[in-house]
Amino acid sequence: MMDPSNINNFEDQWRKALQEASEAPPPSVWEGIEARLDKEQEKVVPMWWQSPKVWYAAASIVALLLVGGGVWLSDIKTNDKPQVAASTKPAGVSESHDNEATEKAASANESLNTEKLATASEPQTASVKPGQQQPSESKIGIAATSRGNAVGKSGNAFAETKNPEAERQDVAVAVRVQKPAADKESVNEVINTSSTSIGNAQPAEISVEKVAGNSYAAALADQNQTISAQLLASLPYNDLDVYVQKRHIFFRPQIEIDEPVKEKKPKEYYAGLGVMPASFNPDVQLKEAPMAFSAQSVSQRRATTGSSEARASYAVQTQGGVRLSKHWSVETGISYLRGNSAYEGGGYVLNAYSNLSSNVLENALAGLTTSANSPAADKAAGFNNGALYIDVAKKVSNNYQYLQLPVQAGFTLNPDKKFSYSVLGGMMANFFLVNELESASGEIIRTTASDDIYRGMNWAATTGLRLNYKLSSNWAANLTGSYQKAVSSGFKSNQSLDSHPYLYGVSWSVRYSF
Amino acid sequence: MTFNEQELVKGCKQRNRIAQKQLYDVFGGKLFAICLRYTKNRADAEDVLQDAFIKIYENIDSFRADSPLEYWLRSVVVNTALNHLRQQKYLKELDDIDVHHNGLSDREFTLGNFQMQQLMEMIRELPPGCQTIFNLYAIEGYQHNEIAQMLGISEGTSKSQYSRARTLLQQKLNKEKRFDDGSVQHKQF
Repeated sequence: MMDPSNINNFEDQWRKALQEASEAPPPSVWEGIEARLDKEQEKVVPMWWQSPKVWYAAASIVALLLVGGGVWLSDIKTNDKPQVAASTKPAGVSESHDNEATEKAASANESLNTEKLATASEPQTASVKPGQQQPSESKIGIAATSRGNAVGKSGNAFAETKNPEAERQDVAVAVRVQKPAADKESVNEVINTSSTSIGNAQPAEISVEKVAGNSYAAALADQNQTISAQLLASLPYNDLDVYVQKRHIFFRPQIEIDEPVKEKKPKEYYAGLGVMPASFNPDVQLKEAPMAFSAQSVSQRRATTGSSEARASYAVQTQGGVRLSKHWSVETGISYLRGNSAYEGGGYVLNAYSNLSSNVLENALAGLTTSANSPAADKAAGFNNGALYIDVAKKVSNNYQYLQLPVQAGFTLNPDKKFSYSVLGGMMANFFLVNELESASGEIIRTTASDDIYRGMNWAATTGLRLNYKLSSNWAANLTGSYQKAVSSGFKSNQSLDSHPYLYGVSWSVRYSF
Repeated sequence: MTFNEQELVKGCKQRNRIAQKQLYDVFGGKLFAICLRYTKNRADAEDVLQDAFIKIYENIDSFRADSPLEYWLRSVVVNTALNHLRQQKYLKELDDIDVHHNGLSDREFTLGNFQMQQLMEMIRELPPGCQTIFNLYAIEGYQHNEIAQMLGISEGTSKSQYSRARTLLQQKLNKEKRFDDGSVQHKQF
């Protein structure tokens, strides 16, 4: 390095003076370096594992692999399944002939190997040959034992070489597939033995039996031969099991997602308010002419031929309901029904002395009443003697007011769509309020529930079809067509009068769900 | 200062910030002095030092332990400084120049009376080409053929530039000596 003799050399002087020179850099330099290092790390680190593109690519590759694997798997399975099914049939046939040893030996086998089967057939022939020397045994018997031996031998051969920790499913496959193969081998052996036994000049009867047995065995062999060849060709089962496991893991998240959706079913309540223009018909029937009319022999026929006619009616409805399930709901409510109608026919009677008149309906009502205070009671008397029947068809108004309390079940189609349709059905309790009947003289006879002429409550069946249009998440507009028909008479006593009111109406209503 | 050079390098290779800071603390002063020698002002020197350390941290994996760490760091800093000078176009016009021998022999020469800052200031006052070649030849110890290769100039140019640098420095030294014999008040830089 530095030579002391040259210490005064120009360059050396400078080098000595400056080479070890040092001056502390200002702090801003390190700050700048650190800032740049942080920046570099941010740039470098996200490059591959934070970049969404990489993940998209990875996800698409995984998806492709899964789909491809699934397709490949399904191909393999569809190819293999018929073969396995075909193999089980002859296996079943052979099993019926096999003895216990065959079963045990076969279950000991843990894999399928054609080479080993081939080698296993070697000792097989040896085992058959002693059987040959006993002419008293039947051919089928020989076939059975030889088959058992064959499988047993092959089973032993595998037991020596196989790893006992092999997979269970492999065992199942190996056993199933091997049986027909073993059968084939054994059958071939049977044919061999028969040919040699004939060569040995055995008794003719036995040889015939043997030939018969061989033909049966050979037929089996022919059936099995092609199937067995296919089976041996395709056996990649180890991989398939791995894919099946992967698929289970893959589908698990979807199952978990479904559960909270099912749980999320709150009961939905709703309240509605509507108006229903309707056609109300009380359907009042006179079973027999009232007393004053029956006295008039001429009028008897006509008095009972009157009929009710519907007039414009309406109902104001409130309803409340609850949605029980996706499709089913139950609702009730309170409605006020104003049912207007007219009654025509029957003429009227006129008292010649008092100028009192009465039409058939009011006279019939008067006959029903038990209370002396009833407005209709006045009309009851005075028509028996000297009354004059005037046969004029006159329409009189006959109006009712009811308070209704329906209970209906509804089945809704398209429940969560903008438009939904409900089929309704149920019963309705009609509480009688007032009846206003126009009399022959033009007065209004007002009958209330306390007069005990009409039933305080009678039942009606109701059905309807509702169109529901969702305005918002809470509000909906309804259009309901309904039909109501009383199932019991409106009158307390139906000796002479009967009434089964019915109604057609179309209701417009709004509904709020909460 | 006691430090384990191998541990320091290992830490820097693992991008350990503490190790990086330690490396900076250990060598920053010396390397900054080099930067000051090659540049014309402190701001440029700071820029060069910053760039050099970024290069050091990025390329620490290429450092082999068969040579001293300080040599490697110095070479990185010098190269960074040369790049900086190229960008500043200081090294663009380096031509052969007439060399006037100042007549001073090496034997008579001594810098013992000058402070380090004075000497550095003299170097920085040299024309850019002279400054660089003087630094490379006299201080860093490169040969003229190496310098010629590094700067893309001829060897002759390197020699003549160096000669001129030497003459100029000699004049400065003489001037300073005459002005105040040995106790010169040096300029702040």
